[in-house]
Amino acid sequence: MIFPKQLKTNPDMNENDDFMRFPEVEKEISDHIINSSRSMISIISRNYIYQKVNSAFCNAHGVRPDSIVGKSLSDVWGNNTFESAIKSKIDLCFSGKTVQYEAPFSTPQNGERFFEVTLRPILSKTDSIPYIVAETLDINEQVQLKQQAIAKEEEFRKLETNLPVGFLRCDPEGKILHANKAFLRIMDCNDEFSITNSNLKSFYPEEGLFEMHLQQLIDCNTKALGRVNLKNCKGKEIPCRLSGYLAVNELEQPVFIDLAVEDSSRELMLEDRLLQAQKLETIGSLAGGIAHDFNNILATISGYAEMLKEDLQHDPELSERVSKIEGAVSKARSITSQILTFSRQVEQEKVQVSVSEVLAETVGFVKSSVPPNISIKYDLPLKEAYVLADPTQLFRVFLNLMTNAIQAMEETGGTLSVNMEVVRGKFVRHELNKDIVADEYVLLTFKDTGLGMEPSLISRIFEPFFTTREVGKGTGLGLSVIHGIIKEMEGEILVSSKKEQGSVFYVYLPVSKKYPDYSGKSYRKKRILFIAGNQYESRILSLALENKGYELIYISDQNHLIRILTNENDPPDLVVYMSDSKQIQQGDIVLIYSRLKIITPLILITDSNRELLEEKLVNSGIIKQQLIKPVSLKEIGNAIQALLK
Amino acid sequence: MPGILIVEDDKELREMLKISLIRHKYTVLEAADGKEAITHFKPSITDLVITDLIMPDEDGLKVIMRLREIKPSLKIIAISGGGKAGPGSYLNLAKALGANVIFPKPFSINDLLAKIEQLLTDEQHL
Repeated sequence: MIFPKQLKTNPDMNENDDFMRFPEVEKEISDHIINSSRSMISIISRNYIYQKVNSAFCNAHGVRPDSIVGKSLSDVWGNNTFESAIKSKIDLCFSGKTVQYEAPFSTPQNGERFFEVTLRPILSKTDSIPYIVAETLDINEQVQLKQQAIAKEEEFRKLETNLPVGFLRCDPEGKILHANKAFLRIMDCNDEFSITNSNLKSFYPEEGLFEMHLQQLIDCNTKALGRVNLKNCKGKEIPCRLSGYLAVNELEQPVFIDLAVEDSSRELMLEDRLLQAQKLETIGSLAGGIAHDFNNILATISGYAEMLKEDLQHDPELSERVSKIEGAVSKARSITSQILTFSRQVEQEKVQVSVSEVLAETVGFVKSSVPPNISIKYDLPLKEAYVLADPTQLFRVFLNLMTNAIQAMEETGGTLSVNMEVVRGKFVRHELNKDIVADEYVLLTFKDTGLGMEPSLISRIFEPFFTTREVGKGTGLGLSVIHGIIKEMEGEILVSSKKEQGSVFYVYLPVSKKYPDYSGKSYRKKRILFIAGNQYESRILSLALENKGYELIYISDQNHLIRILTNENDPPDLVVYMSDSKQIQQGDIVLIYSRLKIITPLILITDSNRELLEEKLVNSGIIKQQLIKPVSLKEIGNAIQALLK
Repeated sequence: MPGILIVEDDKELREMLKISLIRHKYTVLEAADGKEAITHFKPSITDLVITDLIMPDEDGLKVIMRLREIKPSLKIIAISGGGKAGPGSYLNLAKALGANVIFPKPFSINDLLAKIEQLLTDEQHL
């Protein structure tokens, strides 16, 4: 028997030791050592035949030694495994090298397990290598533990990579040792190298704040450090929520700091928005209450003024002064009515209305009067969408937003882009962070390239009486009223703006899926003869009435009007006359009605200032109802219902 | 002359309505709130009621319901300066509860007088 070279050269095994001189003893001892080893040991000859195997080997394979010894490795392991995984390693060992590797092998007793295999050449006295010793150790458990550790590490790595939380480790001086991807994202930095070579202090916009945080961590190893602004790689301050952990050595000296960094911009934005909403709600109920009391006072003033006017009929000069009082009351009435709209104390009459139709009408109207240095970009929406709204109010919303945008660009010129799209409710829920009332929403965007606003202004623009215009120009009620109208439609209005770059208003309106069904109703649609006035306003009003289910008749000229009014077979049920009509003058209406003894009820829609002729019209009894612009669908609907009863 | 009850908590407005109605030869009764209107209601001499809606104690809606119960032929005009109860405005609720006419404040006194005359002549025709 020839011993492995290692044994021969082992300093613990002295060649001169006594027992080495007795080959039988020597063989017995070596067999004992080999058989009591937990490793599987085999001796393989150059022709890949097992020459000797130990007990561990036999136990693992569930065989007796004589069924292995004399067999080739390809017989035992299968030719494929032998050729692909074993042969080359054995050849390498026969070339004189000790080979060590880990590999899975299937064993008949325990299935596939991981083994560490060590192949050692056995040198003969002539330095040839007739045999090698294969020592195979079952390392399955170690491998499994290692794999579990790797898997766990992988899970943690995923956590660190996937969560939107920045993790970083730095030394007590602030030098960043490691930072994850999320931290790079939050800091808007695409260069990992530059972050790991920088100092955390450079992200703090205030000097001394890092040291303060360090002190807090020294006092208390783990701590939520609260919200601070960090300066990102582009120099922009990002509100971040920090929490940290300080690792110390046995001398209680700081070794490193771990920090979790969360971007709290959205949280902050939502908090702000909630605060705004609460503020507007408070102002709303306050202003609504004041408006209510104010309307009482106005009713008293206007009542006395009307009485005075009667008393002063024969004194034109004094009568004129009373008219001034009435004019002022009328202005005040318009303001209180707007405040009530803002505080959502005015009920809107809602009908199903096509948003793009109203939008197109508004864009058309605005385009006709836009200054040459401003262009309006409006692409027809790809998808039609209906909402429940008063079309006249919707028009007011669009008109107001577009007029504001144009005013913001008056001096510099620019582009107003109007866009309409239909978005999923899920998207809206995320954007608005609140419950949604529809599966889909219409999202309207009004974007200008004008002056833009300071952040401090943005938070206030929906407050009533807040205005950036000079004193005396406008009441500052516009946007607050728009806000009230949109809220009443269960929609939302948001704004983003940058100084010198422009503003964007986003209007979300819930899409209405129900379509009005008039088909089931057997009665004839009520027919309204509509004498249109100022193009856009009457278009919107007629649109509103048609959507409410009335049949509208339009006239081309005076003769046409007379023909329709005197047609006994199919007369209209009602006439709506807008006082600024170009087709029919007010005097002509009086003449036609009185000469032809027309009894069809007439609704007059006028501007807020009553002219003398209109007064006469109303007093003559021809006019059954008079409405003052702007007329909401609710108002005209009530007037029509009252007259058609 | 027909009797008209004014239910209005705003003293000046009540006074104005009173003067104006007396000028047009109506007999005027007054109540400063809903409670007073209901407890002191005189059905035999009241043909028409003008009532505000938002008032302390009993509000105008209660007045409309109670007085209509006592005297079904009573004409009722509701006036209000705004305000919403639930999804509907007070004025629309008033109409639903049986007010013949509703007037949002501020209103034209001449329009109101015209309406009163119309309602009371309808009465005579019946």
